[in-house]
Amino acid sequence: MPEPLLTLLKLCALALLYLFFIRVLRAVWAEVTPVRAAAGPVPTKARPARPSRRRGGRPPGDALVVVEPRDRHGQTYPLADELTVGRAAGCTVTLDDTYVSQLHARVFRRDGALHVEDLGSTNGTYVNGQKLTGAAPLKRGDQVRIGSTVLEVDA
Amino acid sequence: MNARRTTELGLIVLGAVITAGLYTLATLGRTASLPANLVPFLVAIVALLVAAHVATRRLAPNADPTLLPLAALLNGIGYVFIARINQDLAALQATWTLVGVGAYVATLAVVRRVRDLEQYRYTFMLIGIGLLLLPLVPVLGRTINGARIWVSFGPLNFQPGEFAKIALGVFFASYLVERRELLGVAARRIGPISLPELRHFGPVLLAWGVSVVVMVSERDLGSSLLFFALFIVLLWVATERASYLAVGGVLFMAGALFAIASFQHVADRVSVWFDPWSVADSKGFQVVQATFALAWGGIAGTGPGLGSPGRIPAATTDFIYAAIGEELGLLGAAAVLMAFLLMAGAGFRIATRAERPFETLLATGLTTILAVQAFIIMGGVTRLVPLTGVTLPFVSYGGSSLVANYVLLALLVRMSSGDMTTEAAEAIDETTLRAA
Repeated sequence: MPEPLLTLLKLCALALLYLFFIRVLRAVWAEVTPVRAAAGPVPTKARPARPSRRRGGRPPGDALVVVEPRDRHGQTYPLADELTVGRAAGCTVTLDDTYVSQLHARVFRRDGALHVEDLGSTNGTYVNGQKLTGAAPLKRGDQVRIGSTVLEVDA
Repeated sequence: MNARRTTELGLIVLGAVITAGLYTLATLGRTASLPANLVPFLVAIVALLVAAHVATRRLAPNADPTLLPLAALLNGIGYVFIARINQDLAALQATWTLVGVGAYVATLAVVRRVRDLEQYRYTFMLIGIGLLLLPLVPVLGRTINGARIWVSFGPLNFQPGEFAKIALGVFFASYLVERRELLGVAARRIGPISLPELRHFGPVLLAWGVSVVVMVSERDLGSSLLFFALFIVLLWVATERASYLAVGGVLFMAGALFAIASFQHVADRVSVWFDPWSVADSKGFQVVQATFALAWGGIAGTGPGLGSPGRIPAATTDFIYAAIGEELGLLGAAAVLMAFLLMAGAGFRIATRAERPFETLLATGLTTILAVQAFIIMGGVTRLVPLTGVTLPFVSYGGSSLVANYVLLALLVRMSSGDMTTEAAEAIDETTLRAA
């Protein structure tokens, strides 16, 4: 076996080795980039993207609207008495984001006022940029960030 | 979600092709002919890895896609170099790989929820300490190459310490989850650092004592350092107090100075680290040979099968990194280093995303075991730190080490899969019921 050929084969093997690492890095990139564009086949319980700006005799704060990520902008989740947010399929709002805990937070109505409560999530819930401890009241226009998703309280 | 598994399958196939390619090249370089068993070899590794992949797909469908392929690649590269240096060991290593992948699948199948391990913390402590001290039992223990870390059952030799580190990792994580609030309370301040109450340092001192006992009685510097680093890192992560790192560092220095002063074999390691050349024919022989091998390898290496890594003592175990550096050069050695970095990255990613503090700590601990061990031996071979003999995880020859590391890998994979537990499901049911 001529030596140049062996050298060539060795360089090919090293190139393959680095190709392997490039592909691993791409996989890592997919892992750390939150919320992949394809949100998966699991349908969320929300209506299709439609910013609801209804006027009527309803009390303020009757829906949560997605602000970020861009590709789900405007998606609306109507607020019943209680709404749960998390990665688990059983939540009212299911977010496919590894920075979101299975059962991350809940939004509920107490004495007619809206509140948000963190349910012991790993990475926290933020209201207008402030990290939430326990429960806090919500008013119209407040922005709630969970993982990489920002939800706005809409009337 | 199965995009992750598809990525994993692609990486595994590529890893198998690289392993088979390097194996062919090594045989070509050594004997100038193709390996006789190339096709069965390729079929065997692909079958083994695909079996591990299918098991992951069934048992942990959402797991991180990079961990298994990285481990498989390291295992493959290690096998190629073991086979290239010593054919008899290669046959044994192949058997151990089979057992290791079996242990990986079994761990995934048995441990459905890692948090269930938390309740057996004291069982794990006893198992861990028992395994660690087993080589000291008169009839069972064996001293090989100066370290009393072996246990013999009939014809079978194994190193119980390899499994002890996992058991102690589980124990440390569950113990610290329970105590982290107590340990995190600052009682006194000395200058800029605030220290918790003295009695809370009890466990730290205990861990330090155990690692000193291991070092003195078994002459196993590497494991001793590994256990201590593991405990200090976990203490730091659990309490979020850097003062434990400082205290750990001081204790480490004290232990190291004490060991250098009182044990000749420790002092030898340090003097060889500073200057191997004056004792190049005796104590420094191994390190000097490794340095020559790395230098001879250069950027791209001599080519698999074309170097002479057989000159380095223990080239299949502790010094396999030097053999890789000689025949694949800086590029190949950097690739191995990169594989460990990426595995550590995956492990810490799992830790930050874990649902519970116990899982965060356990993932941190298991990753620390893997990363510190890789650092100790790669650093030792390249003379970045004094040499302490531990195996290079997944790469070195050694049954206990390989099987234990596959169990560790399975636990990380299990945690990354993020079990959709009955508990979470129940919690959700409860909230929806209350809402209704």
